[in-house]
Amino acid sequence: MLSLVLILIASLFFTGIIIRTKSISSGRKGPGIFQPVKDVWRLFKKGSVYSETTSFVFQIAPVVYFSSVAMAILVVPFGSTKGIISFDGDFIFFAYVLALGKFFSIISAMDTGSSFEGMGASREALYSMFAEPAFFILMGSFALLTGHTSFFGIFSTLHLGSYITYALGIMATFVLVMIAMIENSRMPIDDPKTHLELTMVHEVMILDNSGFDLGLILSTGYLKFAMYGTLIANLYIGELSLLYAIPAFFFIQFAFAVSVGIIESFMARYRMSHNPQFIFALSSVSLLIFLGVLLVLGKFV
Amino acid sequence: MIDVLLIVFIITLLYVSIANRIITYVKVLALQGFILFGVTYMQLQEINTLNLVLILLETIVFKAIAVPLFLDHLIKRNNITREAEPYIPNFLSLVITTIIIVVTILLANSVKDENLDKIFFIVALSTLFTGLYFIASRKKIITHVMGYLIIENGVFVLSLAVGNEMPMLVNLGIMLDIFASVLILGIFLNKIGDVFKDVDVDQLSNLKDY
Amino acid sequence: MTGIYLAGAILIVILIFANRNKIINNVLLILFGLLQSVFTIYQCSNYKGTDLGYFTSDSLGILFLITLTVVSLPALFHSYLYINRHDESPQSRSVYFAAIVLLITSISAAYLANHIAVVWIFTELTTLSASALIYHHRNKLALEGTWKYVFICAISITFVFIGILFLSLSLSGTGSSDLSYANLMAKSDQLNPFWLRLAFLFIFTGFTAKLGLVPMYTAGVDAKDKAPAPAGALLSSALMNMGFIGIFRFYTVIAQTPLHHWANIVIFVSAILSIFVATVYMTKVVNIKRMFAYSSIEHMGLVMLGIAAGGIGYYAAVLHLILHALVKSSLFFQFNQLYRVFQSKSVAYVGNYFKYNPTGAIVLLIAFISATAMPPSGLFVSEFLIFRALFEGQYIFVLLLVLLLLTIIIWAFAKNIFKILFTPVVGFDDSNVPQINPWESLTQYALLLAAVWLGLNPPEIFVELIRESVILLQI
Repeated sequence: MLSLVLILIASLFFTGIIIRTKSISSGRKGPGIFQPVKDVWRLFKKGSVYSETTSFVFQIAPVVYFSSVAMAILVVPFGSTKGIISFDGDFIFFAYVLALGKFFSIISAMDTGSSFEGMGASREALYSMFAEPAFFILMGSFALLTGHTSFFGIFSTLHLGSYITYALGIMATFVLVMIAMIENSRMPIDDPKTHLELTMVHEVMILDNSGFDLGLILSTGYLKFAMYGTLIANLYIGELSLLYAIPAFFFIQFAFAVSVGIIESFMARYRMSHNPQFIFALSSVSLLIFLGVLLVLGKFV
Repeated sequence: MIDVLLIVFIITLLYVSIANRIITYVKVLALQGFILFGVTYMQLQEINTLNLVLILLETIVFKAIAVPLFLDHLIKRNNITREAEPYIPNFLSLVITTIIIVVTILLANSVKDENLDKIFFIVALSTLFTGLYFIASRKKIITHVMGYLIIENGVFVLSLAVGNEMPMLVNLGIMLDIFASVLILGIFLNKIGDVFKDVDVDQLSNLKDY
Repeated sequence: MTGIYLAGAILIVILIFANRNKIINNVLLILFGLLQSVFTIYQCSNYKGTDLGYFTSDSLGILFLITLTVVSLPALFHSYLYINRHDESPQSRSVYFAAIVLLITSISAAYLANHIAVVWIFTELTTLSASALIYHHRNKLALEGTWKYVFICAISITFVFIGILFLSLSLSGTGSSDLSYANLMAKSDQLNPFWLRLAFLFIFTGFTAKLGLVPMYTAGVDAKDKAPAPAGALLSSALMNMGFIGIFRFYTVIAQTPLHHWANIVIFVSAILSIFVATVYMTKVVNIKRMFAYSSIEHMGLVMLGIAAGGIGYYAAVLHLILHALVKSSLFFQFNQLYRVFQSKSVAYVGNYFKYNPTGAIVLLIAFISATAMPPSGLFVSEFLIFRALFEGQYIFVLLLVLLLLTIIIWAFAKNIFKILFTPVVGFDDSNVPQINPWESLTQYALLLAAVWLGLNPPEIFVELIRESVILLQI
């Protein structure tokens, strides 16, 4: 319950901080922190326009997308309190329910019959395919390390003690941050500000949504960001008491948002053809995390 | 801490397989030199101090500073273009490097010796095979030389694994390093830059059975 | 004496390299020739003695050392003639002589070393000196050949070093850390087999660059092509023997362990592939020196087949190496005269050699008969013994395959040699052909006759020495 509330609160200002950071680093003042929320609220009040070439898939997809992310949030724990749902192997449930949502957004993009959306859909599918082994190997390594297979079990028993577990923690943070950037289609994989069809990945999939649907999709994006931020925070606050854990959580979310803003301001997006190898590199780094876990456990002399 | 440094060493290998520019390779070689300095300091505690100081000096001065500076000078002097031209796309290189690391891990698992710290064995063999693959998959002559330097680093890591009992071997390894690098880098790349205007391996295919 | 020899040789190298005076260089060369002969005689008298802790004159070392001296003295003489005739600049002359002296010294030291790291150091030195020799003409092709040679040899030397590291790992369980061959033999039953396997693979692969087998043979072919012919003679006789010694001494250690059979399989694969590669290239090669180089590869493949087959094969392998060194170097020495007549290295532009230099042409003919192991050449004896070893070891399929490949090689070699000797070249202007002094072919006749004599009627002490060198393998 606690994690759900905290994620909802974090999602309110997360994207706003990113945009604010980008504006300040380019010398502008930028919109207010709650501007994205106000945008979503405005969209909820509007009506939707549906193209005649689309079918029912296009109409139900945003709802399915939103509910998948909502279900995924229910599984995420917070420090030493469980999520609302928690069972053994729930990180696999997490990955695949997110995949269900992504699947629906992909087929709704293809449902419109436009070649732009189809192109964005295929790229999105490719990047998710490469990011998936990275996530599983990472969570699997941590499951091996702690002996539990539920999110709650893993994070509550994760001790960061020796040098090598710190190194593993840092590498895991890197991998999770990069997966978060890929899933939310930010730099350096995808530029949310570009509107050239040659370079769009995620933006192009939602070109034809409008009104309430668009509002749902945007708010889903904010929730996803906050959710990944919670996962990263969990790596570090596993054993702290609630008094310290909640401020630490907000601090980590804030730091995460600011660093995303800084990365977006100072890095150019990678060449399209270099994206797959960058994403695959995450899987290789996860393999090294696996090797590190084996070393820690002494399964290797 | 040694394990952490060695894992970072393997990450540099992965980075090298997807890098695009030659300057990146030089920087990675310098970084590897620093990592090896740290590993040497922590590993070779049991040999006498003079020998240790010599080895540390060689690592930091030669591998981390002198050779990258010299490579930089060569690149500028021969006007070598920035792109490292591979025969095989970078994505495939990354996959192959990952497969090499996985195979080495599996191979190390089948060794039944308790005297050896397995992580050294894994790092050394993966560096060796990655260096060989690197030589075979790139077009420019200077990247061949860099692949050879990567192989040298791998051999150095392996010699550290036995360095405590036989410090002479570490010294021999350093001698090999200096000798081969000076010979290859110093004399011939200078000459090749002067004679062949385009430092491309395709130029070196004139000796045939014609 | 070894210390005096090494110090004296290094001194001669430095002096030759430093001064540019022709007379002083020639005097220093003669001095080195004397030093080398004295050293050889001393090592023969010091049989089984150890010098400086690291150099033992055992039977195999003595045999190869004598062969090296017998080949290097004509090599120095022919180099002197070559340099004089080409009117080289003083700098390139002194570099050449210094490099050839250094090469001979390091090969001699490598023959006698009894510690694997010392062999490794001297092998590195031979890479350095051989590359200076290959780069002698300083043109674009020579640069390419030198670069390939240096690079492949550097990688091979690194492989040998990795093998030495694995070897020390296999020793780590026994409590001693001495890597001399004697110690390895003594502890051979306690060596860790996993590391020993890896060590053998890496050391074998590394030394094939010097020996001229698959997979690293490519370095040597370009090297022998581009180096001046007297240096090429040394590269394809003495240097290959050094590669053999590097592998052989370690092989005797392996032969005492359960890995013997596995090592034989590895050698078999490499040797058969080498003969196959040599066959393929011999059928299409046009450059005469490259043809000689590929023929050397084929002979080395045969030698390793003898080693892998066992039995009488060990004796035959060592005999074959000595005889091959004599024959191949005489071929290379003769090549200079061929080049002076025709000014071309390609078979297409060379022909009817009998008309211009009958003495030299007879040398070529006899050398061809020797190199393809037809009687009365001594190589016939050694190859026959190798085949007998294969037959006795029940490797019938290998024997048939090798015989077939050798037939193709004899055909290809004969086709080229007979064209060189008898078929006139179209459009050859023979008005400027220099008159070749027949006495220059004297050294080659001496070497070839020595090969015949050693093969057909070897002196008792010679047979004894060869038997002594392989005695550790006859378990």
